[in-house]
Amino acid sequence: MVEPNRDDVPPAAMPPNAGTPAGSAVAPPSLRGEVGVLESLFWGATCLAAVAAVWFFVTAGESESRLVSPATLPSPLETARELPRVIGERRLVANTLVTLERVCLGFGLAAAVGVPLGVLAACFPAVRAFLAPLAVFGRNIPVAALIPLTFILFGIGEFQKIMFLFIASVAFILSDTTSAVLDVPQRYVDTALTLGASRRQIILKVLSPLAAPAIFNSLRLLFGLAFGYVMLAELVKLGGDAGGLGDLIMASQRRNQREPILIVLIVIPLVAYGIDRLLWWLQCDLFPYRYGGRGFLPRALHAAWNWAGWQWIRRPFSAVGASAVEAKA
Amino acid sequence: MSVEPTTAAAMPTPDRPPAVEFRSVTKVYGAGTNRAATAIESVTFSIPDLPDHGEFSAFLGPSGCGKSTVLRLVAGLEPQHPPTSGEVLVLGKPVVGPGADRGMVFQDYTSFDNRTVLDNVVFGLECRGVPRKAREAEGRDWIERVGLDPVRDARKYPHELSGGMRQRVAIARTLVLRPRIILMDEPFGALDPATRLDMQDLLVKLWREVQATVLFVTHSVEEAVYLGDRVFVMATTPGRIAEDIPVPAPTRPARETQQEQWFHDTVNTIHERIERIEAEAQRRNGK
Repeated sequence: MVEPNRDDVPPAAMPPNAGTPAGSAVAPPSLRGEVGVLESLFWGATCLAAVAAVWFFVTAGESESRLVSPATLPSPLETARELPRVIGERRLVANTLVTLERVCLGFGLAAAVGVPLGVLAACFPAVRAFLAPLAVFGRNIPVAALIPLTFILFGIGEFQKIMFLFIASVAFILSDTTSAVLDVPQRYVDTALTLGASRRQIILKVLSPLAAPAIFNSLRLLFGLAFGYVMLAELVKLGGDAGGLGDLIMASQRRNQREPILIVLIVIPLVAYGIDRLLWWLQCDLFPYRYGGRGFLPRALHAAWNWAGWQWIRRPFSAVGASAVEAKA
Repeated sequence: MSVEPTTAAAMPTPDRPPAVEFRSVTKVYGAGTNRAATAIESVTFSIPDLPDHGEFSAFLGPSGCGKSTVLRLVAGLEPQHPPTSGEVLVLGKPVVGPGADRGMVFQDYTSFDNRTVLDNVVFGLECRGVPRKAREAEGRDWIERVGLDPVRDARKYPHELSGGMRQRVAIARTLVLRPRIILMDEPFGALDPATRLDMQDLLVKLWREVQATVLFVTHSVEEAVYLGDRVFVMATTPGRIAEDIPVPAPTRPARETQQEQWFHDTVNTIHERIERIEAEAQRRNGK
């Protein structure tokens, strides 16, 4: 289980590289130092080339003379030739979208429940103690072992997959949100108190927004975890062609086709990494004060929020205070 | 505006309760356990509520003497509040918890990172439910009064500001609520010396405008003598008030005042007294 690393240092917050001295060509690389873009691309490409070279080497030649028989591992060219068929006939894109939809629904539901509960658990010790057993169980149950139970509880359809993802991730979201809110330094609460904020205002206007960057960061990391779980939910199924990347792998295995499996295995990390980078960009932009982004979205949201037409949305949030002022006036 | 602090302090108006009054206040952490630690012991003092003036009291002392405990007791902040014994009264009423009538400026930067300067300054007004247009007009006014640009700086986020600017925001955020009592816990402790002098001048100017009672904690004797009407010298083990010294109120900018002979003399006198108090405390604890 990958524990989310909350101190994930954003590249933007790192100190600028203090110019490399001229004699650095002979100097050994500094421990834990940073690497330039070109250099890191070079090493990355070298690694890919090495893996591809091994793959080429063990699958080179006619089928009888290969080190690894084509029945076990097809060659890179054979795999690439299958790509159009996997995209067309086997509907790779549509299946990817089905998988994404599931993970978004299941994880989204878990976040919608876990984040508010986590905030409440952090603010109210009784709630925290009440939810603690659920969080401990949820975090320590091996998710794969949950699958049979979810078939019994939620049937064999789409609902089962979404609920499986929900159960698998909600406990992590809950505990991470709780610690994110508890990690907001007390001095902000003290300041808000001396500025006359009520408990509800401190939760809504101080603790939640100040914990938001850490919460978003842990959601991003947990989303990667959930993307792994959805494969599990798609691989283990009872009848029917449910679709999704996991289903594509299972169907290929039944039909004794190796190439589609390899293609899907390459696509999955690419999609997961792409989503992670997208979320990271969103995170930087949403919380420029923490991750050094440009802050387009917060400024746009701020403008929209302040736009007169939106007053009705926040009226419920400030109803008590407003009536108090009217009474005073 | 030349109020003589010594006479003013000696003659509190009889019909007005003191702005802040401590009646033998003791605070013990972990009372009843074997790790009980006394923060302050039988602290008694009274700061009069002077009409059209507001007294500026500086609390001076080494770390661990309970300066911050005194301030946080006035603010009503946990875990210092409530006191183990004794009474903390503000304008004649016991402190029951924190409130906007006692504004506080902290040493650590406490700007809300997710809010612009303007939204930070109007936070208290927002909590009161003041409509946006009204509170933002007031907020911009205060941003200007603390020496920031009401248009350009108002849009910035705290991480784009220097330490001095952040403390200006913190002061504006407190004063916009017009508190009767302002508590300042080493607000300039993290600033460089030049910025510190600028901030002292700014504080004197604003204090005259708002006429609030200020309780100011510092470990700089110069700062205490320059800003204060009165300097409470505190001592450690247990935390208590050792001396209550009236000093002249600031009449001229900090840089000029700190050149003068009487200023140096006062500072030296207080330094000597602190040394004597500390030596006594050590002798007593050594026995």
